[in-house]
Amino acid sequence: MLWQQLANGIAVGSVYALISLGLTMVYGILRILHVAHAGIYTLGAYVGLLSFRLIGSFWLSLITGMAGAAIAGYMVERFLYTPLLHLPRIAPLIVSIGLFTALEEAFRIVAGPHTLAYNARVGLGDLSIGSFHLTETQILILFVTFAILIFLWAFLTKTRTGLAMRACAQDPETTSSFGVNVSGVIAVNFLIGSAMAGAAGVLIGVYDNQVWPTMGSVPAYKALAIVVLGGLGNIPGTVLASIVVGLAETFFIGVLAIPFPRDAVAFVAMIIVLMFRPHGLLGKA
Amino acid sequence: MISGYFITILITIGIYAMLAHSLNIITGHAGQISLGHAAFFGIGAYTSAMLYTGAGFPFWISVPLAAVVAGIVGTLLGIPCLRVRDDFLAITTMGINFVVEAIFLYLPFFGGAMGIGGINLPKWFGREMTKPEYFILILVVFVFLLLLDRRVGHSWIGLAWASIREDEEAARAMGVDVVRFKVLAFILGSAIAGLAGGFYAHFLTFIMPQNFGFGQSIVILSMVVFGGIGSRWGPIVGAVILGILPEVSRPIMEYRILIYGILLLGMMRFQPGGLLGPESILPRVFRQSVRRAGARGETQ
Amino acid sequence: MRLNDPSRCQNSEQRIRRPARDGVSFTSQGGEILGIIGPNGAGKTTLFNLISGVYPPSGGEISFQGKSILRLKAHQISRLGIARTFQIVRPFQNLDVETNVLVAYGHRFYPSFWRSTGPFRQAPFLREVQTLVHRAGLQAYTKHMAKNLPLGFKKRLEIARALALRPRLLLLDEPSAGLRFEEAAQLMELIRQVRDQGIGVLLIEHNMQVVMDLCKRIVVLDHGAKIAEGSPEEIRSNPLVIQAYLGKET
Repeated sequence: MLWQQLANGIAVGSVYALISLGLTMVYGILRILHVAHAGIYTLGAYVGLLSFRLIGSFWLSLITGMAGAAIAGYMVERFLYTPLLHLPRIAPLIVSIGLFTALEEAFRIVAGPHTLAYNARVGLGDLSIGSFHLTETQILILFVTFAILIFLWAFLTKTRTGLAMRACAQDPETTSSFGVNVSGVIAVNFLIGSAMAGAAGVLIGVYDNQVWPTMGSVPAYKALAIVVLGGLGNIPGTVLASIVVGLAETFFIGVLAIPFPRDAVAFVAMIIVLMFRPHGLLGKA
Repeated sequence: MISGYFITILITIGIYAMLAHSLNIITGHAGQISLGHAAFFGIGAYTSAMLYTGAGFPFWISVPLAAVVAGIVGTLLGIPCLRVRDDFLAITTMGINFVVEAIFLYLPFFGGAMGIGGINLPKWFGREMTKPEYFILILVVFVFLLLLDRRVGHSWIGLAWASIREDEEAARAMGVDVVRFKVLAFILGSAIAGLAGGFYAHFLTFIMPQNFGFGQSIVILSMVVFGGIGSRWGPIVGAVILGILPEVSRPIMEYRILIYGILLLGMMRFQPGGLLGPESILPRVFRQSVRRAGARGETQ
Repeated sequence: MRLNDPSRCQNSEQRIRRPARDGVSFTSQGGEILGIIGPNGAGKTTLFNLISGVYPPSGGEISFQGKSILRLKAHQISRLGIARTFQIVRPFQNLDVETNVLVAYGHRFYPSFWRSTGPFRQAPFLREVQTLVHRAGLQAYTKHMAKNLPLGFKKRLEIARALALRPRLLLLDEPSAGLRFEEAAQLMELIRQVRDQGIGVLLIEHNMQVVMDLCKRIVVLDHGAKIAEGSPEEIRSNPLVIQAYLGKET
């Protein structure tokens, strides 16, 4: 029973991590709250669904979903955020909110307001050990998210670009004076973060077997709460916070059966943590 | 006779203008990001509605009380809010909006998803007010608010807000108690939003939690942004244009939210000062056409 | 700002000591310019931030006119009579010169809600502000927006603003940085005038000539600790000081 909830919680939490990481990475490097990121997440789901309908393969739809999201994220950075960096930070924030609103509506208009089915299957089948039960989609989620997170970790710690990204987040001016192409690094940052959000969109779409225009609304603010909880701009913090929220949601609702709106757990957790650690779990002043 | 439909639009614009004006105090004058303003709108609406339907308070008492309650809640929420920086403030205000809406939705005390109904227009001289009279009332209140705004703008409070908006750290060094003035902006902004909520409840005759969610906050923000953050007439312009636009044609009504989103996006991207802001196209185009007309006159 | 009040000069002793673990202690008086120098990263601006309340001190004692200011917030310290300028100028960009100074002048009104509802553009206030603007040599630019001023004038604006707080102690953070020779000389003259009115000045500077010229007493910091204190001649020949500067270069 406990193991089951643990697995559920980690599965949920790891998808949250996929979404929230993009958000925290953007904040770390541009100090912008990329609210539209949730729109990229939804876009990934729709693009994935479209390619699944055309091609029929889960893996290919995952790749196209990630690619579509990556491109969209890059365009947002290039055409909307970077030109506004000289303005007070409220400007890119409002642009982001406007974009998110417009995106959700655009999805509704183009794809229709109803939920669409995304029943991709890999042929793995479910896993059952006694009372412990993992559905195929849960296995896929765990596998894909872990793979992506490991890739991200390797990229950030082992490659030059990854190192440049971490340096930029600390101090963009000094970093550029070392000959690093800061705008290139920013672009890569968005590409990776958005691709991860796209992957999350596909995974959730498949897991719930539902894709609908406002599927990004809840993740929009939930990811924000998670990112603040973990420490704005702090990557390990975000991963930690995501797992914490995933486990908290699963345990409060599943185990303790508290009649509490599941989606509010993230915010409550954020507020509680902020009271004791105003910069988040792993954040610094 | 003025059509009832037209009057309805006028009243709606009037209420939204008041709302946008109140957000402008927080975001424009004091420079604080508030993404959950609809929460105060909702608190005012629900307070007025419940005092009227539950306790039998007449409009003339329930609505001012709505403003007071909204102002008090604004203070309580404002104080912890304002210890936090920019970005945290944005998220916190969003969170507050969400929590307030959830409270209205989930607690049966507030009528749940069905909301509250049976709220009527105010009575005076022994009869119920007509819609045109209601509009005049709103207009009068709004003019009063504008005058108040002007007075505050010329006061040391307004100066303190300007300094906070420009550079909070420097303002602190110049003797400005930044937290206190920010809270003041929040109180004023939330109280007026609550007032607008009261007017809204008595006009619509029923209210639902969905009217006061993040989407509504975006609409209000759009109006402020569109007109020009900080300018006195900006919110009115924003409310008028964004209020009339959907009524002008059916297709626009359909895509209303999409248009709001694109407007926000486009406005901030290309004209961050809004239509009435310092660097907006409008005055420039106006000046150019005046110059051209003058030049033509000279060469003749 | 009109008379030198001799008794004030003697009584306004400002005792300032930073956390003991870092080892910076000194006293400063009204009517004197105390120079604070040291290699980059020595902690000079940090010292100002501690004094002016931007950073809360973790220990030690800072007292001003006999009272501790350790627990006070930045705006309270400003109202008590310690004014500062910033290393990178921070004028209120979109406000004009006069309004910039008015913001600081308003410190008399901000504490009281009732008084702060009064209009700020009143003749008596404007007159006093004009005096300050005039003293900083900016009278021709009264209605110019701060963001349009050249750097030298922005620095003067910083000082005029600080003076509007009626300070007993003025903290100047590298005022001559980025200025041409003549501009710096004019600024120095202004600082001398400030001192002559009995206001104490703490001056952080990298320009050695300026420091040696203006200051009768100098404190040298390195790595967050005071390594020397004395007259310009004593400092110039102090081996610890020389090593601190040279040592940093290698």
